[in-house]
Amino acid sequence: MNIQEYISSGIIESYVLGLASPEERAEFERMCALYPELIKARTGFELSLEKQAFENSVPPPAETKEKIWSAIRHSSTKGPSKIIPMEPGKNKFGGLRWFAAASVILFLLTAWLAFSFYKKNGELQAKIDRNDSVINAMTRGDKIMHDPNVMVVNMVGMKGSPSSASVYWDSTSTDVYMVVKNMPKLPSDKQYQLWALIGSKPVDLGLFDLPQSNNVILKMKNTQKADAFAITIENRGNTGGPDLGQMQSLGKAKL
Amino acid sequence: MSNNPRYSEQELVSRLLRQDDQAFSYLYDNYSPALFGVINQIISNKEATADVLQDVFVNIWRKINLYDDTKGRLFTWMLNIARNAAIDKLRSRSYQDSLKNQPLAENVNTITANSVITPQQNDIGLKKQVGKLKEEYRVLIDLSYFQGFTHEEISKILNLPLGTVKTRIRSALIQLRTMI
Repeated sequence: MNIQEYISSGIIESYVLGLASPEERAEFERMCALYPELIKARTGFELSLEKQAFENSVPPPAETKEKIWSAIRHSSTKGPSKIIPMEPGKNKFGGLRWFAAASVILFLLTAWLAFSFYKKNGELQAKIDRNDSVINAMTRGDKIMHDPNVMVVNMVGMKGSPSSASVYWDSTSTDVYMVVKNMPKLPSDKQYQLWALIGSKPVDLGLFDLPQSNNVILKMKNTQKADAFAITIENRGNTGGPDLGQMQSLGKAKL
Repeated sequence: MSNNPRYSEQELVSRLLRQDDQAFSYLYDNYSPALFGVINQIISNKEATADVLQDVFVNIWRKINLYDDTKGRLFTWMLNIARNAAIDKLRSRSYQDSLKNQPLAENVNTITANSVITPQQNDIGLKKQVGKLKEEYRVLIDLSYFQGFTHEEISKILNLPLGTVKTRIRSALIQLRTMI
C-alpha cells in the first residue's frame, strides 16, 4: 500500500475520531513520523471536524463555568503542578531534610531537658542533705536533752564575759555535746576550745568555731571524767595546753 | 471557526501548562459551546450534559500535561475527552435509571440494532451528517462513535463477522469525510 492509499483508507478519520484500535493508532503514529503528507491530511480532517463542531455550538448553562472553577479550586490540585512534587528524588530529599531538621531539634531539646533535670536534681539533693543534717541535729538534740543519763552543765561567763553555753555530758556513753547560746565572734586566727577539768588538770575536748546559728548541738570529744568544763580562746589549731588567762566560761559538773 | 482566538494553540497550551487562569478562562469561553454541542449529540438530557461538560473541563485543566501536539490538534484532544466522558455518562447506572422508558444496556448481547437511535429532526453537526449515510453505515457509526461500542461488541450486536464490521466502518468514515 502506498502512502496515498493509506491516507484514503479511512485510517485518518478512524484515528482522529478515536475509533482506531491500539495497534492501528501505533502504526498511524509511526507513519506520521515518516510521511509529512499524512500529518497534513490528518490536520485537514481535524480542522474540518473542528469547524463543524464550532458551527454546531450549543451555549452551555451560565453557571457551569463557575462550577468548574470551584471544582478546580476545591480540589486545589493544579494539574501539572500536581506532578512536580511527585518527582521521587526531590520528594525523598525533601522528606529526609525535614526529618533531619526535626531530629536535630529533638536532640537539642532532649539535651537541654537532661541538663536542666541534672542541675535541678543536684540542687534538690543539696537541699535534702541540708535538711537531713538539720533534722538529725534536732533529733539528736531532742534525744540528748531528754535523756536522764545526760548531765547539763551551764557554762557561766567569766569576768563579765557575756559568753554562755551549755555542755551536755552523757555519763553512760561518755559523749559530750555543746550548745552555744551567746558567744562573741572571734578573729579568724582564733578558735574556742572546750576543756574538761579533771582535778585541776585540763583535758582537751576539742576546738570549735561558732556555729552559724544558735542552739546547734556540737559533738565534742568524749570524756569519762570531768569535775568542771571550761572554754578558752586559743590560736587556731591549738595543740598545746589551755591559755587559762583567756578562759571565757566555766561550769562545774555536779556528780 | 466562528471566532478569532487571541492565543495561538501553542501559546494557549504553554499558558495552560503554567496554570494560567486567564488562559483557562479563554479556553472555556472559546471552546465550551462547541464541546457542549458535541456532548449533546451523545446525551440528550440537558442536566447530564452540563455535568459532563464540567467533568471535561476539570479533566482538561488537570491533564493538560498529557496533551501531545505531535498526535493532533488541541481541539481534537479535547473532543475525544468530551466524547469519552459523554459515553461513560451514557453507560452509567444513574443515567440509565434516568431514562425510565428505555431498557438498561447492561449486557451488550441484549442490544439490538433496534435500539440504535434513528435520525431526528433536531440532530446537529456530525450526527446530522451521519444520519445522511446509508442505513448500514449509519448504524455502524452510531454504535461505534456515538455509543462507544467496540468492533467486537458491534459484531455481536449486529450478528456480523468482525471483518465486515471493520471494513464497513472504514467505508462509512471515508464517505463521511466527503460530507463534512
